[in-house]
Amino acid sequence: MAGPAHPEAMAPPTPGRTRTAPPQMPSTWWSAPRIRTYLLFDATGVIYFLVGFLAIKIVGQLADGPIAWQAQMKALENPLYIAFHVLALASVIFVAVRFFRLFPKAQPPSIGPAKPPPGPVIHAGLYVVWLGLTALISLALAGVIL
Amino acid sequence: MKTLLLKLEPIIWFMFGQGIMIGTMLLTGWILVLGILMPLGIVDPTQLNYVRAQQLFTTSLLGIPIAQLLLAALVVLPLWKGAHHVRSLLIDMGGGERDGIVGTVLYLIASVGSVMGIAAVASI
Repeated sequence: MAGPAHPEAMAPPTPGRTRTAPPQMPSTWWSAPRIRTYLLFDATGVIYFLVGFLAIKIVGQLADGPIAWQAQMKALENPLYIAFHVLALASVIFVAVRFFRLFPKAQPPSIGPAKPPPGPVIHAGLYVVWLGLTALISLALAGVIL
Repeated sequence: MKTLLLKLEPIIWFMFGQGIMIGTMLLTGWILVLGILMPLGIVDPTQLNYVRAQQLFTTSLLGIPIAQLLLAALVVLPLWKGAHHVRSLLIDMGGGERDGIVGTVLYLIASVGSVMGIAAVASI
């Protein structure tokens, strides 16, 4: 079990007027579903890091010419790459579902005179954009459009 | 280190926010087709041969290199989501004492990766 989180980890350099209880990870965190899900959400950061750098490598191979590109496409057929991408897909779907659910709750009540749309409208809008972009990118990569 | 991170916090949070929102939206189709369906042969990999990949990733709209801009966002933004969430995870797991140096290293990795990603996309 790791030690408790440092209470000043995210604090400003000078103390504010409001005192808050120092955050501490409970020792039973592994059996608490909400904390587990929260930590899993953070842990997807590792997958995003790896996916980002792999995408940079793939794009770099395209810039290096046809032989490098073909070799890269062949390398992606390795079962380890496929397994990693299945994990990565599960991660992005998990992040999307959780983040899109939280996003409407994080909106300010108003920005100047304008008020944000109702939460369900924002939630639905995010899904429409996400699924639309995913369909567009998938069809373009698969050669169905463009 | 810690003071510098706090000064840069608006930029870090902006990149993290875009990474979690736009990065996730762009990555889903990329991972699905390029990482799973094509390697498994469910989608014909020749649809993304070198010539077509070059054409697709350099598509412009009204003179704007829209495909390269999207590709740059796809490779850069997830790095910032990754850096910030890994930092947050390490703080929660008891790494608060080392947060200044760990956070700096993680954002440096994301910064270097961003430059590498933009250079790779620009060189297509």
